[in-house]
Amino acid sequence: MFEKVLIANRGEIALRVIRACKELGIRTLAVYSEADVDSLHVQLADEAICIGAPPSSESYLKIDRIMSAAEVGDVDAIHPGYGFLAENAHFAEVCETCKIKFIGPPAAAMQLMGDKNAARASARKAGVPVVPGSDGIVDTEKDAIKVARKIGYPVMIKAVAGGGGRGMRTAHDEPSLIGAFHSARHEAEKAFGNGDVYIEKLIINPHHIEFQIMADSRGHIVHLGERDCSIQRRNQKVIEECPSPLMVPALRKKMGNAAIKLAKSVGYQNAGTIEFLVGQDRHFYFMEMNTRLQVEHTITEEVYGCDLVKEQIRIADGQPLSPHVAHATPRSHAIECRINAEDPANDFQPSPGRIAFYYAPGGRGVRIDSHAYTGYVVPPYYDSLIAKIVTIGATRSSAIDRMRRALEEYYVTGIKTTVPFHAAIMRNSEFRDGKYDTGFVERVMNSEAFELVPSRARLHE
Amino acid sequence: MDLKDIKAIIDLMKKNDLSVFELEKDGFRLKLQKGLGEQPVISAPLTLATAPVGTATPPAQAAAEPGAAEPSTLRDIVSPMVGTFYRAASPDAPPFVDVGKTIAEDSVVCIIEAMKVMNEIKAETSGVIAEIVAENGKPVQFGQVLFRVK
Repeated sequence: MFEKVLIANRGEIALRVIRACKELGIRTLAVYSEADVDSLHVQLADEAICIGAPPSSESYLKIDRIMSAAEVGDVDAIHPGYGFLAENAHFAEVCETCKIKFIGPPAAAMQLMGDKNAARASARKAGVPVVPGSDGIVDTEKDAIKVARKIGYPVMIKAVAGGGGRGMRTAHDEPSLIGAFHSARHEAEKAFGNGDVYIEKLIINPHHIEFQIMADSRGHIVHLGERDCSIQRRNQKVIEECPSPLMVPALRKKMGNAAIKLAKSVGYQNAGTIEFLVGQDRHFYFMEMNTRLQVEHTITEEVYGCDLVKEQIRIADGQPLSPHVAHATPRSHAIECRINAEDPANDFQPSPGRIAFYYAPGGRGVRIDSHAYTGYVVPPYYDSLIAKIVTIGATRSSAIDRMRRALEEYYVTGIKTTVPFHAAIMRNSEFRDGKYDTGFVERVMNSEAFELVPSRARLHE
Repeated sequence: MDLKDIKAIIDLMKKNDLSVFELEKDGFRLKLQKGLGEQPVISAPLTLATAPVGTATPPAQAAAEPGAAEPSTLRDIVSPMVGTFYRAASPDAPPFVDVGKTIAEDSVVCIIEAMKVMNEIKAETSGVIAEIVAENGKPVQFGQVLFRVK
């Protein structure tokens, strides 16, 4: 087993990986930017090395500095977390060249599935239904019009190298297509350095349902069920649940098998997630694959009774899938709310700064994954996620009631958080009925009835 | 007790990994405490900034200098990368600089080895080497103080 692992990430996921390593008896080396000096992951790691100035491009994305730190720290493996370099095939290759094990899929599989266009082609080849769309990159206006006419409006123009909801534009008719086409290309060029786009049919108000797969290095691949991530705001997930209220056993079997088939066809190893769009008619379409651990891996862990990060480390170490993972069955229901340092009363404006007082809820069936603490200064340079709160219940409604109860106890002062927003969603009848789709948040927030539930926290300093 | 003495105490604390030092004598009381953050520690009559220490120490610059009584005229040369610090080009070569050496902006002051590549580090400031802070052959992190220059 590895003796020492470098965690090439920050915030709550760095903490998550450090915890798994400690439980496996593995020493941990944290790397951090100057903005993260007092971060919890730096404090709890066995060793820590500063790798640069606050901006990610000057620190967490600096492959050379991370590799220097790995060398200086004499580590056996690197866990990339999610975001940053987690889906950077070049980084995975550099690790391999330096004889340091990258805890994740092989660079080749990452490359293949990371290119959204190539991934669609792989899916089609594996016989997995894909969202109707262009057969490749759409280069010209003329081609865009042709493709859109063939698949039918409305359409979605998406960046080949995209992610995080950026480099995407919708067009509901031909007149708006050209503008959307150029707009998407421009944003993609700026955000990802690659302006190539493809076109897909826009499925109206689908459910976003993803399947967790886990593959060892001996070709054994299993799926650990689905997560429903339809509750999104501006294409960013805010609430996830497992299992999906839309799912029935027959559909789960079909989709799960499709996910495994696809992963097998590209020689996938380690943890991965296959995202599907599911229409109201229960037709499912492959959307994309994330070749890394996801933020919401937590709810799968709670329902399927496993530690996905530990399993990632074991697989990277060459061990076969653990029996309890290979034969995992779902039990109970889990919901996750992503708590961001944003002000829901002010269009979710970022709210970095010093947390004056922090008290996280507890009690039965409540899991908090967070790097926040009283006095912690949330830096403005990175994403705004400060905590994930997961509640587990025997049934979906008890998980919801538990989340509602837990959110009432969540006291954070000094900065604004999205706790009041989540509290309002937990009281929403459509959500409680399991009747929602990707258009839900927009609809609900614009409705008269929607009211943020103010936090009961008092200021403590 | 003057600033030099207090600085010497701080150095001793750092070297021996001590967290608290307290002294009381003839109505004068001094307490120095290592903290995890930026909390300044008060004592009568001077206010001193504590030296944040531990493996998580960042490239502290002004924070480690006793600030209140005397403005520091020393400038820091800090590491622009992560690697191993060497004072000379090879084990038997003379060090690039010593205390007292006059340097210009493009003077090579040391080597930082990263991934088997020997990087020559330039001073980026001019003056006279006052202190050699980093240890030969030891790892340095981004922003870590290598030399102090006056």
